[in-house]
Amino acid sequence: MAIDQKSGSELPQRRKLAAGPLSKGDKWFYRATAISANFAFVLVALIVVFLFVNAWPTLSSQGISFIFGDIWNPDAKNPVMQLGPMLWGSILVGFSGVLLATPMAISAAYLIVYLLPKPAARVATTIIDLLAALPSVVIGLWGIAVFTPVAISWAKISNQLLGWIPIFHVKDPNSAFTDSPFIAGWIVAVMIVPIITSVTREIFSQMDDGLINGAVALGGSRFSVFRKVILPTSSSGIIGGILLGLGRALGETVAILYVLQLSFKINFFSVLESRGGAVASWILARFGEASSSEFHGLMAAGLVIFLVTLAVNMVASFIVNRAQPWRKN
Amino acid sequence: MTSMNRKPWAQSSFNFKVQLALVSTIPVAIGALFVILGGFDFSIGLIGVFLPIQVIVVGVFGWLKAKKRGLGDALLIFFTIFFSTLVLVLLLSVLGSVIFEGFKALTPHFIYENNRYVGTTTSLEYGGVGHAILGTILIVLLTTVAAVPLGIAMAVYLTQSQSKMRGVVRTVTQSLAGLPSVVAGLFILAVMQFTHLERSGLTGALALFPLMLPTVARVAEESLRLVPADLRMAALALGAPNHKAFFQVILPAAKSGILTALLLGLARIVGETAPLILTTNMNNTTNLNPFIGPMASLPTYVYNFLGSSYSSSQQRAWGAALVLLIFVGILFGAARILGRKKSLKTSKKAK
Repeated sequence: MAIDQKSGSELPQRRKLAAGPLSKGDKWFYRATAISANFAFVLVALIVVFLFVNAWPTLSSQGISFIFGDIWNPDAKNPVMQLGPMLWGSILVGFSGVLLATPMAISAAYLIVYLLPKPAARVATTIIDLLAALPSVVIGLWGIAVFTPVAISWAKISNQLLGWIPIFHVKDPNSAFTDSPFIAGWIVAVMIVPIITSVTREIFSQMDDGLINGAVALGGSRFSVFRKVILPTSSSGIIGGILLGLGRALGETVAILYVLQLSFKINFFSVLESRGGAVASWILARFGEASSSEFHGLMAAGLVIFLVTLAVNMVASFIVNRAQPWRKN
Repeated sequence: MTSMNRKPWAQSSFNFKVQLALVSTIPVAIGALFVILGGFDFSIGLIGVFLPIQVIVVGVFGWLKAKKRGLGDALLIFFTIFFSTLVLVLLLSVLGSVIFEGFKALTPHFIYENNRYVGTTTSLEYGGVGHAILGTILIVLLTTVAAVPLGIAMAVYLTQSQSKMRGVVRTVTQSLAGLPSVVAGLFILAVMQFTHLERSGLTGALALFPLMLPTVARVAEESLRLVPADLRMAALALGAPNHKAFFQVILPAAKSGILTALLLGLARIVGETAPLILTTNMNNTTNLNPFIGPMASLPTYVYNFLGSSYSSSQQRAWGAALVLLIFVGILFGAARILGRKKSLKTSKKAK
């Protein structure tokens, strides 16, 4: 205030810092990190462009029916390639997996954060993380050799008890119950439980203690605290975690290939029927013997599943990031 | 906050614990009796006998203790434990079956020999996964050389810079973490169409690159964030430019975290199968040149031998899966130990 605005000359000279905020080295340092960070965009763009260029022959000839049709006949004179049943199958398997995994994941997270003593909780966290690190080919191997017989007996029970519900209905009563979306859903659930659990656990453990103590002080029981305080405050984060799991489930390849009968006869809801679909597994299954026209079709399938999972994951990480404000700097 | 505050309901008397033990063991015993004496299938015993009895007993117990409040609490705890046990059983089943079946195939020569002259019916006395182990190591190392520096640079951008783009970059990186592995393979295949690259270890490594990058970036970001900001401020106040502050102060402080990022990234890609099936050719002999010729790897080895129905091939698949699992276990365990050291250090500092 003491300085006269009109005579700026009275202002002290700007002092020169020994290390300028942006010395030459720093400029290069930040430029390098910025370039690497932007490489994430470049990578996404490259994937889209390369897949699109290779998929174009199929996409242009099939048009929108590539997504909705249900014929795959790549080697005819006029190749017809339509991905409908596989795409729907991916969604069916993904949703079965999420439905099976969510209760397990929320329970595990609740157990770790609110029930177990600290050392046991640490062990349980390690176990869940280890589950996340299992390679999908190992899970597939286990799924086909060990889990399928068990799942078949579960499928039989659910069919006998709940067969009157369309979802659990099977056309052929002597069906073998193998290779069904039900089994694939379980396999996928095993793979996405750790993803949902780790997001949910993080949200639970960062929850404001005051909220819980307040609810207990007001006479809340454990159940009412869980239902009225913990779940509502963490719901958006849990949904984000579930979407992350869904994204993983939609792109799962090898494990599903082992335990699911891929079929172009579309299977809408009957999860116990021995046929279903999965785009990623279809790509891998067909790839070895693909002709050049089918190659383009598989590229198009890859593009579709990439865009779907990218969209799901974007929404998921947006939600998760917003639900975890402590992660921002 | 102490752990007491987190569980205001945690006090319980000895009497209560005895009752609880009875409540939780009686249905198990009845269920087991039904399975053993009634000759039921285990699943039927579990779902049809044990589960309903347990739910009823737990519900009645809760009701007797505290009427409606007790009922809800008891069922909540029961279902939490039931589902968590299910997760544990699934995991132990995976680990147990791979270890049990894999050990049948695991002999010293299975680890170091390659598969020359081995067909689908060759007995397990011949051949092994030596070539696949070397191939996996080479491919994964190539990927690491490219992905780790880039991932760390991304983490630096996300933690050290003040750019407004950080949120978007973080979201895109996280979405890349969900990239379907088969798409990564297709992407490199599409690139190969243009560049006339031959299928080799290199193309496999390229296909694994987009899968490793986001994991490294995310874990490295977390570990850089754990470095106290004071350290950086002190370095800057002493006149160090930002890049020197990073390389000489922050990076050494976050060393174990960065190593964890490397290890978890490796654990993420070492078992990836689909990209390698699409971009490398299977090989039965040892190939130490990742730039030319077909190159075997452990996941593709499992995949190939599982495809055949002969029992010796199946055994090979289990054996290779066990070797793969040991790799993952070593990487994961090392990452855990490093991570624990890090948290010990920070907790000491906090005191």
